[in-house]
Amino acid sequence: MSGFMETEEQARHRFQLELEFVQCLANPNYLNFLAQRGYLREKPFVNYLKYLLYWKEPEYAKFLKYPHCLHMLELLQYEHFRKELVNAQCTKFIDEQQILHWQHYSRKRTRLQQALAEQQQQHQPQAPSHGNTTSK
Amino acid sequence: LASAFMAAAAEKSTKEKLLSTLDDIEVLSRELIEMLALSRTQKLPQPGEDTDILELLVQRDKEFQELMQTAVEQGEVHQEMQALEKEVEKRDSDIQQLQKQLKEAEHVLATAVYQAKEKLKSIEKARKGSISSEEIIKYAHRISASNAVCAPLNWVPGDPRRPYPTDLEMRSGILGNMSNMPTNGVNGHLPGDALAAGRLPDILTPQYPWQSADVSMGILPPHHGNDFGLEPPGHNKENEDDVEAMSTDSSSSSSDSD
Repeated sequence: MSGFMETEEQARHRFQLELEFVQCLANPNYLNFLAQRGYLREKPFVNYLKYLLYWKEPEYAKFLKYPHCLHMLELLQYEHFRKELVNAQCTKFIDEQQILHWQHYSRKRTRLQQALAEQQQQHQPQAPSHGNTTSK
Repeated sequence: LASAFMAAAAEKSTKEKLLSTLDDIEVLSRELIEMLALSRTQKLPQPGEDTDILELLVQRDKEFQELMQTAVEQGEVHQEMQALEKEVEKRDSDIQQLQKQLKEAEHVLATAVYQAKEKLKSIEKARKGSISSEEIIKYAHRISASNAVCAPLNWVPGDPRRPYPTDLEMRSGILGNMSNMPTNGVNGHLPGDALAAGRLPDILTPQYPWQSADVSMGILPPHHGNDFGLEPPGHNKENEDDVEAMSTDSSSSSSDSD
């Protein structure tokens, strides 16, 4: 273990690779791809997934554009989850749920805006009209 | 101590000596008196016997006096012994009392030390987790602006944007250019689709590219021995109780799948 040396250049390149790879894990279709080709059954790969957990640390996490990948990474630590990913229906379901969750905040914001708009409409009739020509 | 006890047992106690001396005196006095009574009527069978008895009597009396003296001394010693025993008892109970207090103090201190340690642990934990609020806000802005965690408000089914890197994005990265990636558009979005729809994929926006390295000047990934075939340190998550446990995996492949 101590025999492996890499230059700073190589380490930086490896950083890029691992940054990309860990974020790819946010894609359920990619996970299905990995599972069907048997990668998720290989011990070295499983060990690699455990190694990748360092992306949870704040000093690394700040580089992640797609934070969903961290949740997937955590789930991937469990053998049960890895086994289920072979099933395309399973990953399709995950994909759907993930997208719905992704829309959660925008839906919430839309609802809030609607509620706000309704509130303002309720107040509007109380205000005396100023003969505002722009409203026409 | 045992031999002294045996010697004392062999020797008569003072009380016995006193009593036997008294007996002797009694016997001798009686003989003397009988002799004197007899000498009224008849001559002494043995001349000088009365002086012998007298001598013996005097001797016994002397012994008696000595024994009495011994008895008195022994009595004093005995009293001293009792006084000392009382002292010992008192000291004993003092020591027990102190022992109790010491035990209590130890308990209190141990509790205090334990709680202090716990406190230090939680301080350390909090310190470790502390991030400047500015950084957090910056990061929140990044991931929101890029629609990575919150869908764009105008998103409808058919929009190729996703909360994860799409096929196109994956292929355009370093990883994509290194190894073979799926060419069948697994998530149904080939590059042609997005361009045909007239929308550019997010990856082409210059800010916050997902495989950016310009912000990472100083940071390097953790060191590893490049041999993931070995068992990693730490416990295996398979045994966590909130997951339905399956039997351990049995694969033994040796290929590196980086």
